[in-house]
Amino acid sequence: MKKSKFISLFLIICVAISLFGGCQSHVNAPAGDAGGEHGVAESSYLVETLKLAGGTDWGVPSPYLNVSRGPGQAKMRLVFASLLEKDETGDVPWLAESWSFEGNEYTFTLFEGQSFHDGEPLTTEDVAFTIDYFREYPPVTNSLGVGDGFIIENYRIVDEYTITITVKEANADTLSNLGSFVILPKHIWEKVADPYTYNVPDCLVGSGAYMCTGYEGATGSYEFTAYAGWVNGQQAAERILFVPVSDELLAFENGEIDIASMPADLADKYMDDPAIGFVEKADDMGYKMLINFERLPEFLDLPLRQGIYAALDRQSIVDNVFRGMGSVGSAGYVPVSSLFYNENVIKYEYDPDAAKELLGEKGFEISLLTDDSADGISIAEIVKINLEAVGMKVTVEAVDSASRDDRINKGDYDFAIVGNGGWGNNPPGYMRTLFSDKSKYLSTSPASMGPRGYSNEEMTELAEAQLKETDFEKRKEMFKELEYMVSEEIPLFVLGNQSSYSMYRIDYYDGWMKTYAYQQAEQNRLSYMAR
Amino acid sequence: MRRLLIPAALFLLLALLFAYGLLFYPQDSQLPSGDSLEAPSRVHWLGTDNLGIDIFAQVSSGFFHSLSIGLAAAVIAFMLGGALGVAAGYAGGRTDAVVEFLINLFLSVPQLPIMIVIGAFFGQSSLNIICIIAAFSWAPIAKQVRARTMSLRKTRYLILARSYGGGLWYLFRTHMSRDIMPLLLISSLAVTGRAIVQESSLAFLGLSDPLAKSWGLMIARCTGFKGIYFTEFWIWWLLPPVLALVLSVLLLRLFSRALENYWLGKE
Repeated sequence: MKKSKFISLFLIICVAISLFGGCQSHVNAPAGDAGGEHGVAESSYLVETLKLAGGTDWGVPSPYLNVSRGPGQAKMRLVFASLLEKDETGDVPWLAESWSFEGNEYTFTLFEGQSFHDGEPLTTEDVAFTIDYFREYPPVTNSLGVGDGFIIENYRIVDEYTITITVKEANADTLSNLGSFVILPKHIWEKVADPYTYNVPDCLVGSGAYMCTGYEGATGSYEFTAYAGWVNGQQAAERILFVPVSDELLAFENGEIDIASMPADLADKYMDDPAIGFVEKADDMGYKMLINFERLPEFLDLPLRQGIYAALDRQSIVDNVFRGMGSVGSAGYVPVSSLFYNENVIKYEYDPDAAKELLGEKGFEISLLTDDSADGISIAEIVKINLEAVGMKVTVEAVDSASRDDRINKGDYDFAIVGNGGWGNNPPGYMRTLFSDKSKYLSTSPASMGPRGYSNEEMTELAEAQLKETDFEKRKEMFKELEYMVSEEIPLFVLGNQSSYSMYRIDYYDGWMKTYAYQQAEQNRLSYMAR
Repeated sequence: MRRLLIPAALFLLLALLFAYGLLFYPQDSQLPSGDSLEAPSRVHWLGTDNLGIDIFAQVSSGFFHSLSIGLAAAVIAFMLGGALGVAAGYAGGRTDAVVEFLINLFLSVPQLPIMIVIGAFFGQSSLNIICIIAAFSWAPIAKQVRARTMSLRKTRYLILARSYGGGLWYLFRTHMSRDIMPLLLISSLAVTGRAIVQESSLAFLGLSDPLAKSWGLMIARCTGFKGIYFTEFWIWWLLPPVLALVLSVLLLRLFSRALENYWLGKE
């Protein structure tokens, strides 16, 4: 009891300092409008505040400064709106009230009366400006592509609210890509020559349903406030707070946060509680192991990679680290529970003797990079024990996740373990960027990055071809074929998929949701809207 | 004398217990030997952690890991603090001014934040931890030794010995060591205890070898386990390293206090 009191006190002090006291050091949205015509509405929200676990700095929630991981993007996308949003079954209006497409032409009609957080009206001029601006300065997350890969050919402003965008080549993902880039206010960014360093308060004047009214990187605290000028529906909460907590579950139990992930060992305790609601994230978190083939070209030899798979006791990762909630990853990458899963992919059983034979007497000495989370280190320890049992020598390096990502982007590793969410539902969203040599995003997030120093023409061809297939069933078959190829060629190692549940108190707020493509309730914008 | 013997005997007992854990206990401290989070049993005296690795074996190995880091840091601090303290106290003048400045510098900077920054900068290894802890432990020793040397310098027998041409090393060996050595040893013993706590703190913060079986890391791994306080696992996963840490530091401290009274109180 004493401990929880101490933690509560600590949290209150932290939040107070971070949100109110530390204003000088953080980027704050302009306060001038906060209570005025375009500022905070006075009532009519389902709840006053929604509080979530913070504590990690996911960057300034601007399109150029957020951290390129789910939680960083999600915060930015609360502040900046895109044309479309996704719900449980498909695309839904967000800034665009309606849309249509024919051939390569996509026409979007905006809601009338929408404004930016400083009260300036949002029109198709801003949409057009953003397209040109992103073409020149790609933001952190970029659905429009880079350089020659930029998907938009040109655009035509029909009127203040209607714009027709012509793409170079329409495919199955085009609508989703056009619907998901965020719209910048032209009147601010047209004066900005270097968006990558632009961090004055103006950079947070967004087009989204929530304004960023507080950010403190050091403590990982964020405050978002509902924007009264938002026209497409009503926000669920007046404020969203990300507060630093020392133990997520204790904070949830003490009512300091409103949603938390449920530890596997406590399933019995919470599942039977009728007051608790859940969002299931089946196989959503995945861990993979990358080999830097540029540094270790000998592993381009397939039997060695087969040997590594045989050396890994992946079931023990599921049992010991995921505590049984999850599955041994499919060597074809797409998790077992997915609609796109190919049950015929090659399955690699744990067989240390076979591994020893395949790896031979070479006595490889490698370093294994991981993040310093409890799960990351535990998985690394299992991998080390497994690989050393078959004659390799492994040194584990654990660094914070941002440094790990940075080192992987730079190619500064031998073997590396990467964990990320989003595996569960949407293989079309990641298979191409992982396995096509043409689409590897070698400089963004390792989560969707292909193996360095590995190339495969046949795999690239298939990964690219599926994009042009508009028949869903045929496309699914192509994915299955790609999975089989991945399981056979082993460009990377799938270590396991972790399932989890987000839990919340039903009587306080029941609006948490997952989209058809993304299961992280805390990161979906519609979780914060009254629906 | 009894006050001196009791903590020493208890510490020895603790060391013997952990030596058994390290040398003769059948379970390995690095490899899984049971299921995940098994409760204490005859096979696993203190149960297993989430990877199925025996806790008693880990705590035992952690004792020698922490103690060796503590002793190594203490030896460096002993030599550095002793040499600088004697040199400053005996030579006086400019040497004394420089050493005194260094002592004050190291005594006044906040240790933990600096240690974290240095630890993060130089990377995760036991050697770095030893150097960092030693760097922040020599100053209090040097300060005491310097003061003692200064007062000794003015004694008649030392002035006489110097006037006969005795060098510093000769003087130290024959006339000063009897007074200074107990002081040095007691201070260094205190450093060992403190170093064990500091090593655990740095390991807890993730600044040591990430897979070393040290107490700080065991505590960090356990507290990082989701929902640990709502399960019973903390009883055998968290308590043993915490108790081992508290007990060994306490016994070392009691021993050095008793030694202080025994040696210095006699005068």
